[in-house]
Amino acid sequence: MKIAILSGKGGTGKTTLSVNLFSYLNKATLIDTDVEEPNSHLFLKGETIKEEGVFKKYPLVNDDLCNYCGKCSDFCNFNAIIPAKKKVLVFQDLCHDCGGCALVCPTDAISYIDKEIGKIIYKQIDKNKLFLYGNLTVGEISGVKIIETLKKSTQNEELLLIDSPPGTSCSTVAAIDGADYCIICAEPTPFGLSDMKMVVELLRADNQNFGVVVNKSNLGNDDIFKYLENEKIELLERIKFDREFASILADGKLLINHSEYFKNKMANIARKVLGDKYDQ
Amino acid sequence: MKIAISSLENNENSKVSDRFARTEYFVIYDHEALSFTSIENTAKSAGSGAGGKAVKILGDLGIDIVLVPELGPKALEALEAFEIKSYQYPREKTVREVLYLYFEKKLPELLISTSKGRH
Repeated sequence: MKIAILSGKGGTGKTTLSVNLFSYLNKATLIDTDVEEPNSHLFLKGETIKEEGVFKKYPLVNDDLCNYCGKCSDFCNFNAIIPAKKKVLVFQDLCHDCGGCALVCPTDAISYIDKEIGKIIYKQIDKNKLFLYGNLTVGEISGVKIIETLKKSTQNEELLLIDSPPGTSCSTVAAIDGADYCIICAEPTPFGLSDMKMVVELLRADNQNFGVVVNKSNLGNDDIFKYLENEKIELLERIKFDREFASILADGKLLINHSEYFKNKMANIARKVLGDKYDQ
Repeated sequence: MKIAISSLENNENSKVSDRFARTEYFVIYDHEALSFTSIENTAKSAGSGAGGKAVKILGDLGIDIVLVPELGPKALEALEAFEIKSYQYPREKTVREVLYLYFEKKLPELLISTSKGRH
């Protein structure tokens, strides 16, 4: 079972929900796929058991074989490879590693070399809890490959929680791909609702099952609740904003260890989405 | 010798552009024929790598010199590889005016990039 937690808008509580739900369950694996700004690991204490590099390939041109026909450059949508007068320019950071330039090259002048674009860190939180997060190297154009590697490394886990990146672009699509259920973590502000509508559109286009947790539910206005009712979207839970919660989070602590209210909320969400199999 | 100038419109009396690779047009001055032509810049809408693409278009046209407002690092690298020299013009001039400035040797040659490049 794979459960993705996503939001559209940043700062609604994806990571708070992910790490607390993960900590509440008796057995689970969590991956933080927000590889541009991972932070689930700041809440989860455990031993790092493995670190592995993630690599992308970029083209290397053999000048002796190249006839400067320009087919590679015509093919490349990202202008990452451009034959000039006496050499072929390769802009590594523009390359999306699709392999197309070598396919269209008539003289087999193109091979590929590896470049490390980031790392995946494995942490054992306790004996039934594995946690992985990815970290994209600053300056790299896309974290999708790291997200895909995170997913692949955990594809056989019994219960996988996926803390997804904000937004609705490639990274998010890669994070939720193959999920059995998605939890939207929303907030009842005009910005929260606007961004959540984009997420709903994405999930519907992807035929995903999903429900919504409205975080900071006592702030903002009622528009989000009216929207959920009109659209017949399941409201899984409301979680109130409390200054005390913000203070606990600011200390890097887990809310379920400090708030019965919050722990009960996690229990309700777990039961609605997973049944009682993973209860504490 | 052919000189390309980043331009907002398709003629020599138009204002120069404040972008190089995402300019609307390149006006091309042919110093042998003493004539102006122009091309619409198809690199303008590139999702990424507009600098390299614009330079390739100009290189394929046999351009020797470009007059530009600024250059990112990739555009500069590509210009070097196509053996095209670049000179920086001041803003708010016309194509004709910056061309005069070039022939009066009043435009500085660009040897290092002036911007970090944009996506």
